[in-house]
Order: sequence, then structure tokens, then C-alpha cells
Amino acid sequence: MRAKLLLLVSVTFATACKPPAPAEQLDSALSWIGTAEMAGAAWVRHTTPDTYTRQTLELSHETLAQISNDLLKSPPTNADTAALNSVLTRSRGRIARMAALIAAKNAPDFARELDSLRVDHKIAKQSFNSIESKQ
Amino acid sequence: MDLVRDVLDKKLIDRENCPMGRVDGLVMHVGERSQPTITHIEIGGTTPWMRLHPAIARLAARLARMWGPKRGEPVKIPWSRVMTVGKDIKLDVRAKDTGALDWEIWIARHIIERIPGGGHEEEE
Amino acid sequence: MKKVMEITLGIVTAVGGFLEMGSVATAAQAGAAFGYDLLWAILLGTLCLIFLVEMSGRFSAVSKHTIVDGMRERFGFPFFAIVLIGITVVLFIVLVAELAGIGLSVQILTGIGFPWWAIPVSLAVWFLMWKGTFSLIENGVSVLGLVTICFIVAAVKLHPDWGSAAHGLLPTFPGDQKAKYGFIAVSILGASVSPHLMYFYCSGAIEDKWDESYIPINRVIAGLGMTFGGVLSMGVLIAAALAFRPNGIDVQTFEQTALLMTTALPKWGFFLFAASMLFACLGAALETSLAIAYFFAQGFGWNWSENLAPSKNARFAFTYTVIILLAAVPLLLGIDPFQVTMMSMALTSATLPLAIVPFLFLMNDPIYLGKYRNGWLSNSVVAIVILISFVLAVISIPLEIIGG
Repeated sequence: MRAKLLLLVSVTFATACKPPAPAEQLDSALSWIGTAEMAGAAWVRHTTPDTYTRQTLELSHETLAQISNDLLKSPPTNADTAALNSVLTRSRGRIARMAALIAAKNAPDFARELDSLRVDHKIAKQSFNSIESKQ
Repeated sequence: MDLVRDVLDKKLIDRENCPMGRVDGLVMHVGERSQPTITHIEIGGTTPWMRLHPAIARLAARLARMWGPKRGEPVKIPWSRVMTVGKDIKLDVRAKDTGALDWEIWIARHIIERIPGGGHEEEE
Repeated sequence: MKKVMEITLGIVTAVGGFLEMGSVATAAQAGAAFGYDLLWAILLGTLCLIFLVEMSGRFSAVSKHTIVDGMRERFGFPFFAIVLIGITVVLFIVLVAELAGIGLSVQILTGIGFPWWAIPVSLAVWFLMWKGTFSLIENGVSVLGLVTICFIVAAVKLHPDWGSAAHGLLPTFPGDQKAKYGFIAVSILGASVSPHLMYFYCSGAIEDKWDESYIPINRVIAGLGMTFGGVLSMGVLIAAALAFRPNGIDVQTFEQTALLMTTALPKWGFFLFAASMLFACLGAALETSLAIAYFFAQGFGWNWSENLAPSKNARFAFTYTVIILLAAVPLLLGIDPFQVTMMSMALTSATLPLAIVPFLFLMNDPIYLGKYRNGWLSNSVVAIVILISFVLAVISIPLEIIGG
């Protein structure tokens, strides 16, 4: 009897703890692109130290990679997955380059990449909003 | 006097105002022809754990045999030693002589004093 | 004159000691996700805390006993044992979160990951308790905690719409993300109404030898101190609403939170955040460890005092030593500190009745308090907030777990 109860509780929890919905994943992706942008802007203003900024950019990169994988496995319905993937890949790549530029202490190129990231962010926002409205 | 309300679980202090634990249990004598009377206050041992569950008391007893001052039995203080019963219960004894501080002294000597800065239990 | 000094010191201690990992994490999350909409939760929690802290001080000053003494004596050993287990588990998780906060503050300054700091941080906290006195801990560390005033400065510098902020002081029903809103509200309540403060405060009243003449001082300290503290929390929330929300950032990690004041205070914002979290979490770690040790010592009738050398209260010292060393273990294993913090705050909310209901009984007991028993206002405010916290917790925690 106790074993059956334990099994029931385990199964309930296993099925109940589902992964985040695609819409939440998109919001999360935007959040981490925004984080990279905010950290980058702080570094350009000499507000944050090199190590922290680089590590935060790397964290953003890793998290975006995770989100991209999850979205590939279960994409949002009615979404242009190719376009979605392209936006995410471009942002990830840019964030990774920014982290490397900090290590190389190359502020001018970093500032240019940051400006491009801001554009990427706007594009991603528009793209994700239109996907979410179709859900 | 309401034993449960006024005595049980109260703090005990000795004649030098040194804390010596709490009243964990009471021993009563039930005579054939006389009223039940309290004979002893019990401190420590398995007495408090018995109030939770006998299995917990047995576990506590086993741990106490392996480790610590190896005191199995609770400390028994005769009821005649009770001086006052108020917010705390004052006893006409010296804490260190009763065994109520055995665990305190054991942990002080074997653990605390071996760590730098721990001080000495005997220092004033 | 002496009493004025004591009031000032008490307020300073309350303000400097108010913020910790839980209150910052929950306020930052709330501001980033819901703007000003959860300010009411901080207001409600702070209000309840003011009453609870005042009651704790009054109880000890009048009865010359601590809350834990009263709990064992009034309700017996079995009841005390149950509460002991529940409170110890929750406070232990809170302690882990606070130690993580110290470690993370050092991580963002040095770049070295916080698991590496688990042992040094725990040893530092232990050492302060081993060698320190109650005054050093209560006053010294809290004075350092005053650096957290920078959160209010940052919030003001970001030019909030004070009208909208005031609107947030009234509870609103969330549009979407109801489970998340509920969970963060519960966590804010748990962060504000921290039971460890009650046990710490009443033990302090005994250490400082308060008597009935301290009742008015106690009211001022509780009222003003906790109010200023609550304002600090609100400062964090407002700053987060203005710094993170426009960028679409949903705060999920300490690293993200560290950006909180980088726009408002460009030169020092980052370092002020690190310093604030370092000192705030240090103070909270000390208070939480002491609260757990006090619970054991007072409940079992051991000698206890921060002003004594460790060998003079060996079991008390042994308890906090073991607790702090054990708390380092989850950190070494690399738990997610932010999630642990949010969950510990929610758990605190859920277990508030366990700590507070017996306390309310004691506060109405004429044997302990005589004519200084609770009035209907104190009873009502506390009872209502505890009920709200508990109901919200029971609803929100499962929803949040299920939601992923």
C-alpha cells in the first residue's frame, strides 16, 4: 500500500514538473540578451570590472545556448524556426565575441559589437513578439 | 501547585545561580495508604526523549553509551532540595556536584578547549 | 541621554541588519518582473515584523525569559521538539543562502567561483562568533550594513514615478503569470517576517539586561528601525523596476542582480552592491546561526551567551560550530544559490504559523507578561498576516514547483 502511494506521488511529480513553455523560453532568451547588453554597457562606462563582465557575458552565452537547444527540441507552434534559430545564433555569437574582446582589452571593437547587439535585441524582440502572438 | 504548569520543563538554577538544565521529568512515590508525592526531579538521560517516543529514547541511550560522558541514567535531585519555585526553580545544590553539567564539561574539555581561542572551562 | 544613545544604536542596528540575501533577491525579482506591483507585499511584511519585533522585546524585558524559554515551559518538551526541528530546518536553509550571498559577493569582485569561498566564508563567520561578543555582532556588523542605504539613493536617482509607486502599495491582482506573482509575494513575506529576528532580538534583550523601563525604547526601535529597513527593501524593488524592466531582464541570478545600480550610480554602483551584499549577508549569517544555537540552548536549558568564552557555554558553542560547518556543505556541492534563497523564503512563509502561533499565546499569557499582555491590535495584525502568508504559501509553492 505504501509502495503504491510512493509510486503515485513520484509519477505525479515527474509528470507535473514539465519544462518551461516555448513562450517563456523566448522571454528568457530576451532577458539574457538584455543582460549581456546591460553588462556590456556598464563595462564601456568603466562601471564593472573585466572579470565580472566577461563571466556574465559567458553566462549569458551558455544560457542562450541551452534555450536554443530546448527550442529546437520543442519549437513554438506556427513559428519560422529557421528565422528564430538565426536570430538566437547571431546574438550568441556576438556575445561570445564580446567576451573575447574584454579578455583582449579591445574597447573600441567591443563598443561596436555592443551597438550591433542592441540592434539584434530589437530584432529579436519584434520576432519573438510576433511568434508569441501566433501561439 | 500544578506540577505540569509550575514545575515541569522549568529552568533549574543552583545555589550559586548557575543554570543546570531543565526539569525533564518528575519521580513520584505512590504509597499504599498515602497521597502520591514527588520524590525526585529528573534531569537529562533518556527522560525527555521518553516523552517523545520510546524508540527515540532507545536511540538516545545507544548514542550516549558510545559517546560523551557515558552517563546513562538521568540526574535525580531529591525534592527536598527545592528552595523556591517561581519563574525558575532554585535548588540547594552545587550544579557541578550533581552530574547535571557532565555533558557541558565533557564537550568543553574534549572539543571546545582543543580549538584555539576556546578558553578553559575552569577559568574564572 | 543613555537611553537616547540606546535608541539610536538600536535603530542603526535594525536598519543595518534588515537587508539580507532573501530580501534583496525577492525585491529584485519582484521589481524586474512586475514593476511596482508587489510593493504592498513589502509593506505588509514590514508591518507584521514591526509588531513581532516589538512583542519579542517586550516579552523578554518583562518576563526576563526568551520566547524559546516560554515555549518549552508553556507547551512542554514534545511540542518544543517539533518546533525545534521545523525551525532548525528552515533556518539552516536560510543560513546556506546567506553564506552563499557572502561567497557570491566575493565572487563578483574577484572572479573566483563561490564554491571556492564556501570554506573560507564559513570559517570567517564561525570565527566572528567564536571570538566576538554580542555587541560586536549586533552593533559592529550592523553599522557596516548601513552601506545598504545606497539602494535608496540609486532608486531616487532613477527618478521613479512616485505616483505609480504609491499605487503599488495597494494589493493588485496580477494579469498574467499568476503563479509567479503569488510565489514572489510569498517569498517577499517570508523574507520580511523572518522568525530568526524574533529569537535573536529577544535573546539580545536578555543579553543587554532589559527590564520594563525599556518598553518605550523597544517600541521606538521596533517601529522606526523596521520601517527604515522596509524602505530599504522598497528601494531595491524600485531600483530593479527601473533598471531591469525596461531592458526586459527577468532577474534569475546573483550576477544579473549585481547590475542593479550600474546605471544610477555609474562610478560606484557595482562595488556598492558587492559591499552591501557582503555586509548584509554577513550580519544575517551571524544572526541566523545564533538564532539556531539559541533555540537549542534555551530549549534544553544550557548556558548561553555571546559574551562568554566558548568553554563557558560549551554546548551552545558546539551547536553553532556544527551548524556553520554543515552549512558549508551545500555550497561546496555548488547548489544554485538564487533558487535556494527564493525557496528558503517561501518555506519561511509556509512555516510561519509554527513559530508565531505559540508566540501569540505567550504574548497573551498573564503569567509571563502581567499587564503588558498584547492588545487586540497586535494580536490582529500578526494573526492576519500569518494567515495570508500561510494561505498564499500553500497555494503558490506547489504551483511554482509544477510550473518548473
